[in-house]
Amino acid sequence: MLGEFEYLILSAAANLGDEAYGAAMRSAIETTAGRACSLGALYTTLDRLEAKGLVDTWMGEPTQQRGGRARRMVRVTGEGSRAAREFYDAVTRISRGTAWADGRAGDLPGDPA
Amino acid sequence: MTGAGWSYVEAAAGLLGAMEREVVLGDLAESEDGAWRGLKDVLGLAARRHLELWANWRPWAASFGLALPASLFLMGCSVATSRGFDGLLDGPVTVSLLGIALSKILLLICWAWMAGFAVGAISRQTLWASALACCAPCLFCLSKWPGDWVSTSRLLWFLAPALWGVWRGRQKARLGLEFALFLAATAMLVPMMLDIGGWYGLGLLWPGWFLVAKARRMSEPT
Repeated sequence: MLGEFEYLILSAAANLGDEAYGAAMRSAIETTAGRACSLGALYTTLDRLEAKGLVDTWMGEPTQQRGGRARRMVRVTGEGSRAAREFYDAVTRISRGTAWADGRAGDLPGDPA
Repeated sequence: MTGAGWSYVEAAAGLLGAMEREVVLGDLAESEDGAWRGLKDVLGLAARRHLELWANWRPWAASFGLALPASLFLMGCSVATSRGFDGLLDGPVTVSLLGIALSKILLLICWAWMAGFAVGAISRQTLWASALACCAPCLFCLSKWPGDWVSTSRLLWFLAPALWGVWRGRQKARLGLEFALFLAATAMLVPMMLDIGGWYGLGLLWPGWFLVAKARRMSEPT
C-alpha cells in the first residue's frame, strides 16, 4: 500500500504526463493539494518509488529556463498506476458515509456545535 | 539565480552528487523561489541523502566497529613499537635488536594501513564519521595524559600509514587476493609480536579477513 505522499507524487506525475519532472511536480502538489513539498522529500520519495518499480526516471534535455541544466523526468509505470488505483479505491471506500465525503457541511465530528 | 544568497545555495549543492546537483539547481532556477527556500531545499535533501547512508551496516562497521576500537589498539601498538627503538638508543645496537624494532614497525605499518584501507573501502561517504570515531580516543588520551611532543607523537605513529590506507581504500575499494591474504596474516602477528591487545587485538582482525573475502569474491569467475 502506498503512503499519502507517494500517492500525491504518482498522481502529479500522471497528470503532468510528458512534462512530469521535479519542479513541475512540486508546483502541482503545492497548488493542488495545498501542502508544502520540499525537494528533499520529493526526490527521496521518487527514489523509493523507482526502487519499487512504480515510476521510471531519466535525465531530460537541459533548457534555457533552467540555466542550461537538465531535468529529471518521471513516468508512472503500469505497476505504479495499479498501486495508485488501489490506494484511491481504499480511500474512497473507507471514506464512504463520512461527513466530509458526503459533504454534510457543519456536521463534521469534532467541530464545535 | 543571482545574488549572494544563491551563491550559498550553489555552495551547499556541492554536498549533493553531480547529477542531483544539476537537477536540483535547475528546479530552483525554474521555480524562482527565494534563496532561503532554495538553501533549505538543498540542505534538507543533502541531510536526507546522508541519513540514508546510515540505514546500511557499512558506516556503522567502519566508524564504530573499526575506526573507534582500532585507534585505541593502534595507539598501544604505536607506543609498543616506539619502545623497541628506545632499546636501540639506550644500549649497544645489535642485529637482533634492530631486526626486532624494524619488524615491529613494519607490522604496525601493515596493520594501520590495512585498517585504514578497510575504513576507506567499507564506507567512503561517511569518512568524516570514521575520522571522528578515530580522533575521539586519541584526543581523550592526549587530554588525560598530556606529555611533551615526543610522547605525544609516540601515540600517533599509526596515523600516517592509516591515512595512507584510507586514501588508497577510497580510490581502489578492493585488493588483490594475495596482498589481502598477506595483510590479514601479517595482522595476526601484531598482537603476538607487540605483546599487546590480546583478545581485543584478535577481535580487530575482521577487516583483514573482510578484505580477503571481498578480493576472493571479485577474483572468482562469474
